[in-house]
Amino acid sequence: MNGNRTGKGPGRMPPASRGGGPPAGVARLAGGSPGAARTGASRSVIRSRLKRDRHLYLMLLPVLAFYLAFKYAPMAGEIIAFKDYRLGDGILGSKWVGFDHFQSLFASIDFWRVLRNTLLLNLYSLVFGFPVPIILALMLNEVRKEGFKRTVQNLLYLPHFISWVVLGGIFVAMLSPSTGIVNWLLSNVFGIEPIYFMADSSWWPVAYTVSGIWRDAGWGTILYLAAMGAIDPQLYEAAKIDGANKLRQIWHITLPGIRSTIAILLVLRMGQMMDVGLEQTLVLQNPSVLDVADVISTYVYRVGLLNMNYSYTTALGLFQSVIGLILVLGVNRLTRLFGERGLW
Amino acid sequence: MNTRRAARPGWSCLGSAANYIVLGICALIALYPFWYVIVSSLSSSRAITAGEVSLWPVEINVEAYKRLFEDGQLFLAMRNTVVVTVIGTLFNMAFTILAAYPLSRKRLMGRNALLMLITFTMLFVTGVIPNFILIKSLGLMDSYWALWLPSLISTYNMFVMKTFMEGLPEEIEESAAIDGAGDWRILLRIILPLCKPIIAALSLFYAVGWWNSYFSVMLYITKSSLQTLTLKLYQMIQQVDQSLLNSFSGSEGVTQVLLTPEAIKAAAIVIAVAPILVVYPFLQKHFVKGVLIGSVKG
Repeated sequence: MNGNRTGKGPGRMPPASRGGGPPAGVARLAGGSPGAARTGASRSVIRSRLKRDRHLYLMLLPVLAFYLAFKYAPMAGEIIAFKDYRLGDGILGSKWVGFDHFQSLFASIDFWRVLRNTLLLNLYSLVFGFPVPIILALMLNEVRKEGFKRTVQNLLYLPHFISWVVLGGIFVAMLSPSTGIVNWLLSNVFGIEPIYFMADSSWWPVAYTVSGIWRDAGWGTILYLAAMGAIDPQLYEAAKIDGANKLRQIWHITLPGIRSTIAILLVLRMGQMMDVGLEQTLVLQNPSVLDVADVISTYVYRVGLLNMNYSYTTALGLFQSVIGLILVLGVNRLTRLFGERGLW
Repeated sequence: MNTRRAARPGWSCLGSAANYIVLGICALIALYPFWYVIVSSLSSSRAITAGEVSLWPVEINVEAYKRLFEDGQLFLAMRNTVVVTVIGTLFNMAFTILAAYPLSRKRLMGRNALLMLITFTMLFVTGVIPNFILIKSLGLMDSYWALWLPSLISTYNMFVMKTFMEGLPEEIEESAAIDGAGDWRILLRIILPLCKPIIAALSLFYAVGWWNSYFSVMLYITKSSLQTLTLKLYQMIQQVDQSLLNSFSGSEGVTQVLLTPEAIKAAAIVIAVAPILVVYPFLQKHFVKGVLIGSVKG
């Protein structure tokens, strides 16, 4: 794996001997460490390297314990999707039922409803939300007054740091039909009847999407601005000499310059299609809009945890995770097909 | 050429003025909701209910704050939030460093296998219910360990820190090793001081996460003496929202009450947000740095 990094006992080699080719490095390692006899060289190499890095392994011990106990153990717990889990019996004691839960899942109207809502809300956020930080970053990039730029940026980042509980609370209050400022404006300025934004199935997705943009659009500009900062200023000089105006410069230089950033972020976003933010949805949803606002994660919470349908909703969660995994892997493959670096 | 150059400055001036104005409006849109709750929390309940509050407090009063502070539960919830946030963040940083440092050493045998093991947990997201059952069977319900233990490390943040450590010059570490320093001493005395910017950024992200979290608290903490601020706020808002949804029909009943839930909710929101607003300006440069390091390779 790393032949050109040899080690002598617990200490590390001096910088001067770095950079030897892999074969030389391996040979030197085998011959160099005092404990390594010619026979069984590789095993003693392993042992000596384990010994040299024993403190690093010691550091990793609690970390591994964490990943096994709190990441991999719940993964193993997913098997209750194939069992009739009951608290008293425990995971191992419960009865196997095979794919029964999945069958009743795919046969239920609820499943298709929450799946559709999950995909639709994600689609809205993607179509309307994804371009917003790009546009904001393009505008910010044109600002020459540093103080103004920094102030605007800081204000735009702010909502990202506030809990959805608070943001949702503020948002709902502003949209309230009787006391909210939005409806006050609508009725007093435009003479429109108050709209029940949060209780109306056709308005709720709009409010949801807008609230998401409000919270994260500013935050999303950070990466684009950094990418724009890395563009060679000479390109702009050349374009100016050729007589290109601001818009043409943006079109021909800035946008191509951030293309790979856009691609990567789009790919990342696509990988999340199965997941709608639980906290955002829980705060914004209410019983009167469940037909459009109920998504997989809120359904799992409500039906699974509150009504204790553990196995059934674990099947749903497993379906979501597997599709999510396939999406991430597929989308990563796709980026690499398009010649980008991909996520790994 | 000459005429063109003469014409352009006028247009670009106009364009850039428009740009400034639109950006200014966007900034105000981001800020206004916060202003709106502050203003509402200071207005009389009558004015809020009548929908007269928009830019400035109407009939200023601090009744809502008084009511909240008389109710000692709010202080308790605030203290709980501070405990959860401070201890949670300390745990996070300790474990993130313990994971990131060894994994950033390319010489470590088995490193790739470990990295794959860890990366997979990012790709396959476990559902809520297996986690819930695990916490329950470990007997962690109604204890903050149920919050801290399952989220000791955010894998994404850990990778950010690992990337940062990989970027440090190896020579410094090597010379320390020649001087006889062991791995622990190198980590504590040499690597960590160099990691200050990333430690600041990640602590900030972790701390904000803890401060804002409510779902896990809702799942695992049922005792009211252990409840945190956001959860209390959540319950309050749910109640108020239900009454707001119905408030159109029975609005004459609401105006009779001296203090509407709406006013109390606004005040509670202000109290929950205030600490973040206060520290926010000082931390700005750290979090931008954190995001940028993370984007190098996540």
